[in-house]
This record gives sequence, C-alpha cells and structure tokens, in this order.
Amino acid sequence: MLKLIIKKEILSNIRDPRIQISSIVLLTLLVTAVLVSKEGQKRIQHEREQAMAQMYDVWVNQGEKHPHSAAHYGQFVFKPTSVLSFLDTGIDPYTGVSIFLEAHRQNEVLYARAQESTNLIRFGELTAALVFQMLIPLLIIFLTFNSFSREREEGTLKLVHGQGLSMRTLLNGKLLGTYSIVLFLFIPVILISFFLLDRQSIAIDKQVYLKFVLIIIAYALYFFIFTQISALVSAFSRNSAASLITLLGIWCLSCVIVPKAAADLAEKLYPAPSQFDFRNSIAEKVQNGIDGHNPSDERLSALREQVLSEYNVETIEELPVNWRGIALQAGEEYTDMVYDQEFSNVEQVFKNQNQVSEWVGFLNPYLATRNLTMGLAGTDYSHHLTFAKAAENYRREFVKVLNKDMELNHAPDIAYADYKLGKEFWQTIEPFEYEVPQVATTLNVHWKGSLGLFFWTIMLGLIASIYSNKIPKL
Amino acid sequence: MLETFNLTKKYGELTALDTLNLRVDAGELFCLLGANGAGKTTTINLLMGFIQPTSGKAKVNGIDVVKNPVETKKHISYIPENLSLYSNLTGLENLQFFTGLSGLSPSKEELTQMLESVDLQKEAIHKRVSQYSKGMRQKVGIAIAKAKNASSLLLDEPTSGLDPEASNNFASLLAEMRDKGMAILMATHDLFRAKESGTHIGIMKSGELVHTLKSDEISLQELEKLYLETMKSTLTYA
Repeated sequence: MLKLIIKKEILSNIRDPRIQISSIVLLTLLVTAVLVSKEGQKRIQHEREQAMAQMYDVWVNQGEKHPHSAAHYGQFVFKPTSVLSFLDTGIDPYTGVSIFLEAHRQNEVLYARAQESTNLIRFGELTAALVFQMLIPLLIIFLTFNSFSREREEGTLKLVHGQGLSMRTLLNGKLLGTYSIVLFLFIPVILISFFLLDRQSIAIDKQVYLKFVLIIIAYALYFFIFTQISALVSAFSRNSAASLITLLGIWCLSCVIVPKAAADLAEKLYPAPSQFDFRNSIAEKVQNGIDGHNPSDERLSALREQVLSEYNVETIEELPVNWRGIALQAGEEYTDMVYDQEFSNVEQVFKNQNQVSEWVGFLNPYLATRNLTMGLAGTDYSHHLTFAKAAENYRREFVKVLNKDMELNHAPDIAYADYKLGKEFWQTIEPFEYEVPQVATTLNVHWKGSLGLFFWTIMLGLIASIYSNKIPKL
Repeated sequence: MLETFNLTKKYGELTALDTLNLRVDAGELFCLLGANGAGKTTTINLLMGFIQPTSGKAKVNGIDVVKNPVETKKHISYIPENLSLYSNLTGLENLQFFTGLSGLSPSKEELTQMLESVDLQKEAIHKRVSQYSKGMRQKVGIAIAKAKNASSLLLDEPTSGLDPEASNNFASLLAEMRDKGMAILMATHDLFRAKESGTHIGIMKSGELVHTLKSDEISLQELEKLYLETMKSTLTYA
C-alpha cells in the first residue's frame, strides 16, 4: 500500500510542470554551485600549495643571517583547504588563510577572530551549502505544501480515504514520495561531485570518506525533517494558501531569523574583547608581569642571576653560552605564557558563543545541519582554531630552535653581524604541516546538533503517528 | 447493508442531521431526495466516516463506522458528486491506484476491460485525467467502485452535471450493481432517476428524514407532488 502511494506521489509530482520547472532550476543551481565551489576549492588549494612551497623556498634561500635575524625574517604558512570544503565553505571566507610566523609576535589571525566572532555564525555566500540548506527546503515546501490540502480541496482525499486507507499510511506515503524526489535530486549531484574530485592532487583517505558519508546522512536527515514538517502542516492546514504561508513562515524563521538571533544572543551573552583590548592586555602583562608585580626588567635580572649561578660565574661575559639567546628564549616563553592565558579567555568566549549556536541547533534543524556539515567539511571554527594553534606551535618551535642555536653556538666574543647561519641550517627546520582533526573530534564538537537532528526526526515521526488519524478528510 | 441508528450531527446550534434511522439492505437502492442543506451529504459523510457523529450510530454490514473506520471501508464503494481524480495520471493509472488501495492488483488488461465496461472510450484510457470531461471522470469513478466489488455503494449526487446520455448509462450501471446484490444509498436531486432506479426513496428536510417510500408504490407525478409539497413546507418552515 505504502509503495503504491509513494509511486503515485512520485509520478504525479514529476508530471507536474511547476515541479518540473522548479526542480530543473534547483538542480541547475545545485550543479552550478557544487561545480563552482569545487573548482574554487581546487584553485585555492593549488594556489596555497604553491604559495607554501614558494614561501618555504624563500625561507630556505634567505641567505646567510644571524639566527635571530632569521627569526624576524619569519615564515608564512598557509591554511590548507579541506577536501570537502567544496560542499560547505563554512567560515573560511571570513577567516585568514595565511599566518606570518616570526619571533616575539603571535600570529594575528588568531585574535583577529575576536573581532570576527559574529561572522563565525553568519550567512555564507552562494555555495553548495546554501543550496542544500536553504533552497532544497524551499523545494520541499513547494513539493509538499498542497499534498494534502489540494487533495482535500479537490475531493480526492475523500475518495482515497473511502478506499479504506488510513491517514497514517497516506501521510507516510506522501512523505516518502516527496522525500524520494528530493533524494533523487540530491544524491546523484553530491555523489558525482565527490567522485569527480581530482584524486591525483587531493589525498582522500578513510576519514574523508567517513566525513562525506556523514555529510550525506546529515543532509538526508535535514531534508527528511523538512519533509515531515511540510507534510504535517499540509495535512492540518485549512487550505493550500494557509499551508504555504505557514511553511514559508517556518522556513524564514528557522533558516533566517533564528540563526541571526542565535548569533546576536551569543554575542550579547558572551561579548568578545576587541583586538585592541586583547593586544593591550598582553603588552601590559608582558611589560609588568601577569600579576603586575613582576616587571620585565626584574624578570630579566632574576634570570641573569639564575643563569650566572647555574654556570657558577660572576658576569655574563664569563658565560660559556650566549646570554642573549637565553634571554630571548625566556622572553618568548613568558610572552607565550601571557598569550596562552589571554587567548584561553578569548577562546572560551568563542566556545561559549558557539555553544549557544549548538544548543539553539538542537532546537533548530537548520542550525544543527549547518554547524555539523561545516564541521565535517573542515571549515568550522574548531577547525580554524586547530589550524591556528598548530601554526602557533610551529612558530614557537622554530623560534626556539633559532634561539637555542644562538645560545649554544654564538660565542660572546663574536659580533652579532659576524655570526651567521646558512641554507643548510634553514633546511633543518621542517616545513609546516597541518593535520586535519578526525571525525570523532568533529562529532564531539557538534554532538548537540547531531542529536538534535535525530530528536526532530523521531519527534515529528511520533507526532505524525499520534495525530495522523485526526487529519481532516473534508 | 447500511444502517443508521438515531444518527445526529450538529455544528454548534445547527443540526445538520437529526436522529436519522435508516436501513438499506442488499439489492436495494435507496435514493435520498432533498433540497441543498437537507442532510443528504451529511448522511453519506457520516457513513463514510469523513465526519464524526454528534450522537447515534452508523453501521456498514453490522460494523460500527466510528469504532472501525478502516474495516468498514472495505465494505463500501463511494462516488462523490464532483469526482476528482489525479489529473497528472491517466484514467488507467488512477484506476490502478485506487484498486491498489483497496488491496486489489488486477492486471493492466483487466483494468482496461473495467474501464471499457463503463463505456470509457478506448483512446481516453491512456490520456491524463486533466483532459477528461466530468462524465469521463464519473465513469472512472464507477469503474473504481465496481472494481472494489464492495457490498455497499454510497453515491453523492453522482449524475449532477452529466449529459442525459451519460446519466442514462450511469443509471443502467447502477441498476446492474443493485441487481447483483449491492446495498446502494444515493443522494440525488433527480426525481426521475430516483423513481426509475431506486427501490426506496427518502425525502429529507432540515436534517430530518420526512418521508420514506417504496418507489414501486408511487408514480413519478405523485413523487414530484410530494417532493414539492415537502419543499414548500420547508420554505414556509424556513
């Protein structure tokens, strides 16, 4: 019986010129968006790889320099594009793609995000994700809004019910019929786009496959939820116009108003400090000490005393190591400590803001899907943070190596300008490599939204099951 | 067999159907006559379970319509006044769908034969219903009702808007189904058809069944006179 209704729904819908036109328009949009995103991703990935190689080449071939000059010469590192970012560009367009790493200074992109925090959860541009998350629900609405109401208006519902069909079976049949059409449009496009990825230049491992499958499941659930809502609204609406208005209202509320309101609420509840305040606070604490009672000159004096005592000498000149190298590294470590402390506060603010979005996502399938697919595509806030931290760790490591060389090899009697290192040494510093977080990490971040999708599916299923026999037949 | 016991339907203060007691046995065609709003369609809607009664009971083959809504449908075929079918499907596809809902799975040849048996033109069978006239749609509706092979048939003004020939053919088909032992309840405005095809005639007024007659015990003229008098009293009453 169910199969019969599904078949009828599919046949009836695909023969409807309005559905044909809207499906073709959407399909064209979807294919275009996916292809454009994919090409864009490919180009960006290529450019970044080239830039990374070039920048490392520039580092290696910087010529002979003092290690501290080399630390200031610095390196640019680039954020690699995620393989699946063509499906969801996420916050990538709003965050930096490169970080300049040098001595004494933390990369700016980390705390540039303090100013960009509201952008982390705002609308994207026209992308595949936008089509999946906002336009396909619109198609679902157009496919479903009159599925019951029109039958009621035209009288076919009476005839169908008169055949002994329960409203529950009819509701399920209509729901699955519409859903089949949606999947018929969605699945081939997403599968083809994935299998057309340039496997020669992009490494696709098991994790990528897993993330891709989870993205499909997330969207499949999201579309199912929208189909359930649309079918239920159509079933209980007085007429098709009322059904359409209600559904467009729900779409507008869940896809436009609630996400914006959630972002504003997050910002209100957890305001992020400005970049100026952030920098000032670090500078002040570096200068005066974290507690304000340990100024930099006092710290330096204490360190000098400690080192002199360690080497059992009276003056810096008597040290067998380069005092300046030790002092520079100690300064680095102190700045890092201050920075970590300050940044952990800002990071907590971002985390709190995103938690608001996650919790609202539990109640709003659009937000849940957006957060989850962004995470699985590797373009969400947590991925950016992971990258930024990895880059910062790399900076600390290479500056430490340079300071250590200075400490051990730059003898005090050699003038700064006379102590130089060359290509051979620069090459010992490996290029920056970034490891993308695993699926488990992403799911751990977005578990509320993931759970929300299942919650909605089950809850709407229960509502349909309980109330389907109350669907008016006239 | 169709039965109602003090069947009543109220919409707030308005009584659409007032304590209706009716029985249609196998092989009977009961025609309900009455002005618009007399309660004919309400009676059919209640028997079909489209609406719930305020009080009283409706039974099909002894099964309570309210308590067993799905079970009772197995015993009823239904043809509404404006028979709507799925306009994007052909006549054959519509018949296949509706017979399928009744749990039947006739072959395409059998379905084609069913449509031909109700005089639907061969060339129309594979055309989409959007191109059908009302008469053609009614024929598909009859084919659906026949295919179900239920013991009871409910018809809500099925001949309204049909041309005389189509109406005549329709009456013949009804007579055929009646003679095969179906219990048929038909709401109609057509006194002539009621007299010609019906075994029993009921005249309704303001939700009440005012007269119940056997059609072979009354002439068309007498029926017409009685009907008009009832309607006149309705107007006076109103």
